[in-house]
Amino acid sequence: MTLLRVNQLKKSFSSPEGESIKVVDVDKFSLDLSEFCGMRGESGSGKTTFLHLLAGILSPDDGLIELEGQNTVDLNSADKDSLRAGTIGYVFQSFNLLQGFSCIENLKLAMSFGSNYDESYAEGLLEKVGLAHRLSYKPSQLSIGQQQRVALARALVNKPKLVLADEPTGNLDSKNANNAINLLCELCQETDTALLVVSHDERVVSNFERQIDWNEINNPDSEK
Amino acid sequence: MMKQFGNLFLLSTRGIKQFLFSSLIASFSIAMAGGLFLSTWKIKEGAQKSFKLSSSGFDAVLGARGSKLQLILNAIFHLEDSPGNLDWEQYELIKSTPGVKEAYPLAVGDNYMGFRIVGTLPSLITEHEWREDTRYELNSGGRVFSELNKEAVVGSFVSSRLGLKVGDTFHPYHGLTFNESSKHDDIYVVVGILSPTGTPADKVIWVPIKGIQHMDGHASEYANSISAVLLKIKGIAAGMELSMKYNRQGNQATLAWPIAPTLASFFKRLVWFEEILKAIAYLIALMSSLIILATLRNSMNERKREFAILRCLGAGRSFVTQVVLGQSLIIALVGALGSFLIYFLTSSLASYFLRNETGVMLEPFTFDLNSWYVFLSIVFLGLVSGIPPAISAYRVDISKNLQHTT
Repeated sequence: MTLLRVNQLKKSFSSPEGESIKVVDVDKFSLDLSEFCGMRGESGSGKTTFLHLLAGILSPDDGLIELEGQNTVDLNSADKDSLRAGTIGYVFQSFNLLQGFSCIENLKLAMSFGSNYDESYAEGLLEKVGLAHRLSYKPSQLSIGQQQRVALARALVNKPKLVLADEPTGNLDSKNANNAINLLCELCQETDTALLVVSHDERVVSNFERQIDWNEINNPDSEK
Repeated sequence: MMKQFGNLFLLSTRGIKQFLFSSLIASFSIAMAGGLFLSTWKIKEGAQKSFKLSSSGFDAVLGARGSKLQLILNAIFHLEDSPGNLDWEQYELIKSTPGVKEAYPLAVGDNYMGFRIVGTLPSLITEHEWREDTRYELNSGGRVFSELNKEAVVGSFVSSRLGLKVGDTFHPYHGLTFNESSKHDDIYVVVGILSPTGTPADKVIWVPIKGIQHMDGHASEYANSISAVLLKIKGIAAGMELSMKYNRQGNQATLAWPIAPTLASFFKRLVWFEEILKAIAYLIALMSSLIILATLRNSMNERKREFAILRCLGAGRSFVTQVVLGQSLIIALVGALGSFLIYFLTSSLASYFLRNETGVMLEPFTFDLNSWYVFLSIVFLGLVSGIPPAISAYRVDISKNLQHTT
């Protein structure tokens, strides 16, 4: 059953000279419920923009994004906020943890924007990622690998339907990168969450049964 | 809902913690502005009220020809010099005038260690009600001075300052300011200490009027003269009649009646000073709102990323806006509380000096409706200063502030 469906999605930005630069032009893309997908693409090719469009962080110039059968493009700002809070989890390359807050506070804050606030679930998730003994540690007191594990737990704390991971291993060494991908897949599997991982790293993408080349689905140079 | 409120508070306080120094400076400047404003306004109001209440139960003062205000300040508040003297006969005359309920002659001109020695009749202490249904009381073991002996009743403030107690003796000094070389030979015995009244009576030494009149070293004409007569009058009509008699028709004495409007004219003289302080308070208020604005703007530059992350996690635009407003609200609340603290400090100081100089006790501070207005105005000022940075939080571009595009 289809969870996410993208149709003729377009996004352009203005250059400093005022010229319009098309970054995203995806004719079709879809993801089934609980499906995992690895998307490879070079840095600067528009993958993050694509994920921002899917998450409702950016609005497309044209096209359709359907999540659970609902067109998210036409949602107002508040509804897009609710969508990000409840249905979509996001993992960043630079983790983007809130620096002034402890691990558990990072999760609890994210949880407070969703509809099911459950502190014990947040603590359980941190335990699952091996950080039960670091609940009250601030991000700066953790290793890079540990920070990424907090970020993974935070992305899943609201039991989303879809996790979007943007270069999730970009800041990790190969051992930690492997562990992080395995952990992410494990967590998503447990909660039947669909996962879309975008990366320039072939080793990351090769972990997934379904692999897509970003340049094959994105044609910003087309005249359409 | 409670969770959201808790998060708002958490994020606002963390923002302040992150920029603690500048937030404290902002709160402090608000406290200074509010404190200065409250002090100029409330202390003046309190002093005016206290002065009115401290007329010691008298309606009028009869004294030598001159300024009514000077008469009141001299005879009731024991401040400034006496404008001149009256004859004892004038006291006898007004005492027996219909419409005069009570009349007490006063003679001044001596001091002990800088505290004025005031000569009067013992009945002022035993019979006069300085407040409705309240007469002066003496501490246990004391009694009022005898009309014919060199005895003194000491005001409570003088007693605590000089450590005078019943049985102690002292030499009066000539003049209203203390000068060691002008000691009189007379020796007075303290026979009573007045219980505190919070009126100017606390800061003088009361002796029999004959004692001042016949003090060793005083010129012989003093024996028949007095400085003023304190009066209690039977109603407004009697007051008007007396005022007409002394101020319009007569040319030897002045009747200061009624006391309150004359005192008001005294406070009017201080209006310019009050206005300057108010202008300074407004300037500081403006400065403090600019400091809040600058503090929050600086913090916004660094917090944009944090707000972008929060927005990405599902926080609404209104939530991040409220975080910034919450931050300015906390700064303003701390500043508002600080204003009252500063006001307490300045009013304690003012109270101390006022009591030292006049014996008048400043009315204690009460949190009335006007205080609420000041409190809310300060908080409102803080909130208004937080609006521009709150708008920029509202408009924060999530995508741009999350960095790392691929």
